[in-house]
Amino acid sequence: MKPLKLLALFIVPMGLIIAAVPQNKTKPYKLTADQLLGEANTRTQYIAPEAVADMIIKKDPSFRLIDVRSQDDFEKFSLPGAINIPVSDLLSDKYADILNQDVKMNIFYSNGTITANEAWMVTRQLGYKNNFVLEGGLNYWFDAILDPKKPASTSPDEEFAKYDFRLSAGKALGGGLTVQTNQNQSTESSKPAVQAVPKKKKVSGGC
Amino acid sequence: MGPLSVNELISENTNLFLAFIIGIGFGFVLEQSGFSSSRKLAGVFYGYDTVVLKVFFTAAITAMLGLLFFSLFGWIDLSLVYINPTYLTSAIVGGIIMGAGFIIGGYCPGTSFCGASIGKLDALVFIGGLFIGVLIFGLGYNLWDGMYMAKFLGSPKISQTLGLSDGVFAFLLIIIALSMFWVAEWAEKKFPREEY
Repeated sequence: MKPLKLLALFIVPMGLIIAAVPQNKTKPYKLTADQLLGEANTRTQYIAPEAVADMIIKKDPSFRLIDVRSQDDFEKFSLPGAINIPVSDLLSDKYADILNQDVKMNIFYSNGTITANEAWMVTRQLGYKNNFVLEGGLNYWFDAILDPKKPASTSPDEEFAKYDFRLSAGKALGGGLTVQTNQNQSTESSKPAVQAVPKKKKVSGGC
Repeated sequence: MGPLSVNELISENTNLFLAFIIGIGFGFVLEQSGFSSSRKLAGVFYGYDTVVLKVFFTAAITAMLGLLFFSLFGWIDLSLVYINPTYLTSAIVGGIIMGAGFIIGGYCPGTSFCGASIGKLDALVFIGGLFIGVLIFGLGYNLWDGMYMAKFLGSPKISQTLGLSDGVFAFLLIIIALSMFWVAEWAEKKFPREEY
C-alpha cells in the first residue's frame, strides 16, 4: 500500500500543475517564407507513387486523392477514387472543408508536379495540414506503376523488390501490357486502368 | 529513435541496431519483473495479481506527464508527435480478440517471446498461435478488408473529443489510474492465490 501512496503523493500535484497551466500554443498559424522554403527544400510534401498505389489497393480510407487539373482532364482520366479540385478553384469556399482538416491525408496530383505543388504551397501557406503531393505526378505514375522497367541484373535487391511491388501493383491497378503499348498517357489507353480496378485485388497483402 | 532517424542523423541500419539494443533491454526488464509468467499476466483478469495493470498504467501516465511538461517548457512540439490513426471498428474487434487471447493464453505478443526465450513451452505454443493468426489474417485479407478499414476517424485525441484541455484530461486520467490501482490492490487481497 505504501508505494501507491508515494506515487499518488508525487503524481497528483504534477497533474494539478499541468491541468492549471495554459497549453503551449506559441506555434505561428502561418508559415514564414523561410519555413515554407525549408519544407519545399526537404521535399517532405512528396508521397511516393508506391505508397499511393499500396493505399489504393488496400482501400485505405485515410487518404484522399485530389486531381488539381482541369475538369476536362479529370473526366478523361483520373486515379481511382480521386476527386477534382481544379487549382483555379482552390480557394473556393466549397472546398475549404476538404482542404483544411486533420482527418485525412490529401494527396494532390497533376500531370507533372508543378500544378500539384502550386496547390500544396497555397494550402500550406494558409496553415492547412495534411496536404501532400504525388511524387512525379501522373507521368511518373505511368512509368513507375503501370509500366515499370526491369532493373539491371547488377542492381541491389531493393531495386528488385521495388520492381516486383510495382509490377504487381500495376497489374492490380489495371496497368501492364494494355498501357505499355501506347503509354504517352493518351486518354484512350488510360481508360482500362480505371475500369479494371474492381476486378483486381491480388496484392492486398503488401505489408 | 524517432528524431534521429527521421532527420537522417543516423542511418537506417544504426537505427535497427539501436532498436535491437533497446529490445534486449526491454525483454530483460520484462523477464526480471516476472512478466514471462503466464499466470502473472492472466492474474489481472482474475484479480489475484495486478502488477501488469499497475506497471503499464504507471508507464502511460509518466510518459503523458513528461510529454505535457516538455511541451509546456517548449522542448517538444506536440503537434509533430505521431498519433496512431483510429479505425474504430478494427480497434474494437482487435481489442476483443487481443483481450480474449490474453486471458486464454496468458501472454501478450511481447511477453510470449520473453517467455519463449527462457524456454517456456506454453509461450512457444502461444507464438505458434500468433503466427497462425497472422497467416489467417493475411491470407483472408479480402474477406475483412472492409471491416479492417471501417470507421476511420483520423487521429483524434480523447481530450479533443471531450472538449477538455490536454492538461485537465491528464489530471482526470491520473485520478482514474490511481483509483484503479487502489481497486486492484483491494482485489489482490480479496482474491488471493496461494499455490504459485
